[in-house]
Amino acid sequence: MVRKASVAEIVNHWILAVSCILLIITGYGFLFQLKPVYALFGSNYTMKVVHNWTGIVFTLSLFGTLFNYLQESLDMSIDDWNWIKMGGGYLTKGHVDVPPMGKINTGQKLYYLAILVGGLGIIASGFAIWLVQGTRTLTLLSHLIHNLCFVLFVVAVPAHIYLGTLANPGLLQIMISGKVPLEVAKKRYPKWMKEIGKA
Amino acid sequence: MTNSPNKNNRKAILVTPEVCIGCRGCQTACKNWNQLPGQKTKNLGTYQNPPDLEPTAYNIIRYSEIPSEANPVRWLFVSRRCMHCDDAGCMKICPAPGAIYRTKEGAVAFDKEKCIGCRLCVAGCPFDVPRYDKDNKISKCHLCYDRIAEGLQPACTKTCPTGALRFGDRDKLIETAKQAGYSKIYGEADLGGLGSIFAFKDTPKLYGYAEKPNIPESVIFWHNVLKPLAVIGLGGAVAGALIHFAVIGPHKDEEVKKS
Repeated sequence: MVRKASVAEIVNHWILAVSCILLIITGYGFLFQLKPVYALFGSNYTMKVVHNWTGIVFTLSLFGTLFNYLQESLDMSIDDWNWIKMGGGYLTKGHVDVPPMGKINTGQKLYYLAILVGGLGIIASGFAIWLVQGTRTLTLLSHLIHNLCFVLFVVAVPAHIYLGTLANPGLLQIMISGKVPLEVAKKRYPKWMKEIGKA
Repeated sequence: MTNSPNKNNRKAILVTPEVCIGCRGCQTACKNWNQLPGQKTKNLGTYQNPPDLEPTAYNIIRYSEIPSEANPVRWLFVSRRCMHCDDAGCMKICPAPGAIYRTKEGAVAFDKEKCIGCRLCVAGCPFDVPRYDKDNKISKCHLCYDRIAEGLQPACTKTCPTGALRFGDRDKLIETAKQAGYSKIYGEADLGGLGSIFAFKDTPKLYGYAEKPNIPESVIFWHNVLKPLAVIGLGGAVAGALIHFAVIGPHKDEEVKKS
């Protein structure tokens, strides 16, 4: 077995995941004035408080991910381009050889960058709506950005969950124990294994 | 576009600035009925007091000194308050169910208990009407929904001594104003038709009203595009995952050995 994710990374990922999903649920509650969603929290005002403070948890957690994924996500090579061209091998039924990947693959890199940019947008606009009052233009702009980023999240997050569970059996284990069997790791992350001298 | 349920029974306030004497009885009556305390204000060199709408001032008389060639001392008085839009920007953008609601008479009323204090209604209003009180809850004219539901008229129109403020069936008010010689009624068709309508003798701008009031473009885009997209996006992502799982299926490591 190889340790792919540290305990800190796993814990932070779950904090991010739970806060993100809670924010999406309350977000839909706001967006469509969904009374049943509000009812889960007891009162309108309580749901707003939950949404805002969960936003703080999400913010801290997202900044935490910077230490785990940013550097690797920005490190793109020709392999990543070729990976994109063949859709990461996800578009064909049979087995296809994808270009050799590092610790995280191209799709995960792109997903992380999208979540990071969208996350910063939704965080900044969220705090502006919450805390900056009396500037109409800023509120309207923030409202627009917050909702644009929301659309990104409701598309990207379910895709991420699918790819991490049903689409890739065994992958979820990385977010639980953090460990991968050596043989699997060699096939999936050849560049990373080479880097740490286990190839 | 409209969020008003009942057009037949719609009530309105007709404002006729020509006959307003600027007595501000409407301001006082409003405070009296709604139990709104007085506020300390300052003299800004005009009789307009308070200077604008406040959490404790649901309506004000706007005093505009606009001299014309025919009348070098022309002084325009106009009642400013919530317009009770048919297509109300505040209702459109409000995220809290029941916080801003439409009464069967067509008034845009509010429930402080349900307001979450986000202030989005302030940004969504084309007329800069909603204010927030010290508890950070919405505060504005509600057309005395409690009085009109009982067949009374709003406190302000009840007290108006000259008929500058008149309350009644919206259609009838428009008809009488037109018969009185006002060819264009401000608010007759704007934003689906306003619940505060104005018989202006001159261009609305002189009275401090936008020629063509609109809900902010971004709010309309959000309502018409982003809201549906948030549903289609989630539905599409989930459906896409299911189709992928059914058609292509999960990634299999064993296949690596075969090739």
